Amino acid sequence: MLVAALLSGLVLGGTYALVAMGLTLQYGIARIMNLAYGEMIISAAFLAYVMFSTLGLNPVAGLLIAVPTGFALGYVVYGAMMTPLVARARDRASLEIDSILATFGLLFVFQGVMLVTFGANFTSYSYLNDPVTIFGTTLAANRVLALILAVVFGGGLYLLLTRTLWGTALRAVAVNPGAAPLVGIDVNRAARLAFALGSGLAAAGGVVISMYQTFTATSGVVFTMKALIVVIMGGVGNLIGALSAGLILGLVETFVATYIDPGLTLAATYTIFLAVLLWRPAGLFGRLTR
Amino acid sequence: MLEVADLSLHYGRHVALNRVSIRVGKGETVVILGANGAGKSSLLKSIAGLTKPDEGAIVSFDRRVVTGMPAHQVVEAGIALVPEGRGVFGDLTVEENLALGAYARRARADANDSREFVYDLFPKLKERRAQYVNTMSGGEQQMVAIGRALMSKPQLLMLDEPSLGLAPLVVGELFKSLGRIRERGLALLIVEQNVKMSLSIADRGYLAEAGRIGGENTASALMGDAAVQRAFLGAPR
Repeated sequence: MLVAALLSGLVLGGTYALVAMGLTLQYGIARIMNLAYGEMIISAAFLAYVMFSTLGLNPVAGLLIAVPTGFALGYVVYGAMMTPLVARARDRASLEIDSILATFGLLFVFQGVMLVTFGANFTSYSYLNDPVTIFGTTLAANRVLALILAVVFGGGLYLLLTRTLWGTALRAVAVNPGAAPLVGIDVNRAARLAFALGSGLAAAGGVVISMYQTFTATSGVVFTMKALIVVIMGGVGNLIGALSAGLILGLVETFVATYIDPGLTLAATYTIFLAVLLWRPAGLFGRLTR
Repeated sequence: MLEVADLSLHYGRHVALNRVSIRVGKGETVVILGANGAGKSSLLKSIAGLTKPDEGAIVSFDRRVVTGMPAHQVVEAGIALVPEGRGVFGDLTVEENLALGAYARRARADANDSREFVYDLFPKLKERRAQYVNTMSGGEQQMVAIGRALMSKPQLLMLDEPSLGLAPLVVGELFKSLGRIRERGLALLIVEQNVKMSLSIADRGYLAEAGRIGGENTASALMGDAAVQRAFLGAPR
């Protein structure tokens, strides 16, 4: 039972980490607190569902469509909704507040479209729902695949941000947006690309989630909350922080559900969230700025 | 090479700069002297594109008008600024800071040569290239800031109070390095409170007071100027 809990905890945690990395990009670099983030995830989940059930396209191939679509959507949303807010914002704090209000509205647009299109029922599809035996416990193959995909996307993003000049420039904007233009970085363009990249990751997360979970048009909020908790717990804008906090959250939730009571998972989530913030107010890997 | 004419700037009702005109020739080292609040930093920021000057200003560089250009384009034109407080990327390593210095398109192809020069100029940075910048001393961070600016292959390097908060010994080394940068043929525009040091490496100087340029002369003449001595060098009145 221990190994089983550990494995499903890793699957859940990997998904949280994947989803949170996108949000931390959007918040850390573009300074947009995207409350419609969970809806972007669920939209991608529905997209994967439609592609699977009507076109017979398996979700892994579906990623090739969903991720670029998410990226493009993020790029357009930033251009249409955020650029005017950025232009009028006096400082980053006021941009944050404006973006919260704007994306709160966007949340209901996304949700409304999904409710009209798909209704309010629980949706799921059966893909790779075959048992696999790992370390003596059985696990659905789609969960194993979900974990692998989370690792691939997380690793890819990490390499992109640390090993390429372009990625280093994005991190520089997160660290010191005031100084970034001095080395020739167009901060607005970097923010737009980071927002688009974050939306692409939300889409990836949505497809991965749809492979092994049921979802409804209104379950986006849950993912926004979880992603937000992971981002804050790990330290805003910190990729490694999001990764470890995501895994911790997934493991804790699964262990509490397995050994104590499934009804206590949410309580456990907020307990460790509180504990981490009391211990390290800037998050696990965050640094308090002066 | 750099021509600034009629540059004014106001923050709300406060006039920071009032029709300032200066010029810096090719390979020339120019220093701007003046008390706090004379508008020296505002002038450098306006040239670098970090703040927008009022209508009517003309900033041209290499016969190209750069007035009102956003900062990231000014860098591409060949002007680099080491801002007051250094503006380094503290959570990144020395190596990453320098690599970003060559982010501008004009600098990318020659990034390796530029890095060689920076490491030669500041051997300490080579030793500490994997270190996070926010764990370094003020003097070392200033080296990172100057090195990063040099990575963009500027023709004009502007420095805003480079010696601020540094120990006297470190300041001496810093100006020695600036001398070597100057020998490379770069033009330097320096705003500095350490008047003696900056005049010693400068060709020319401007006196700034209350948002205006009050005077201009060669560095050696300014060094001997009684008014300058009274105001900045602590000579008896």
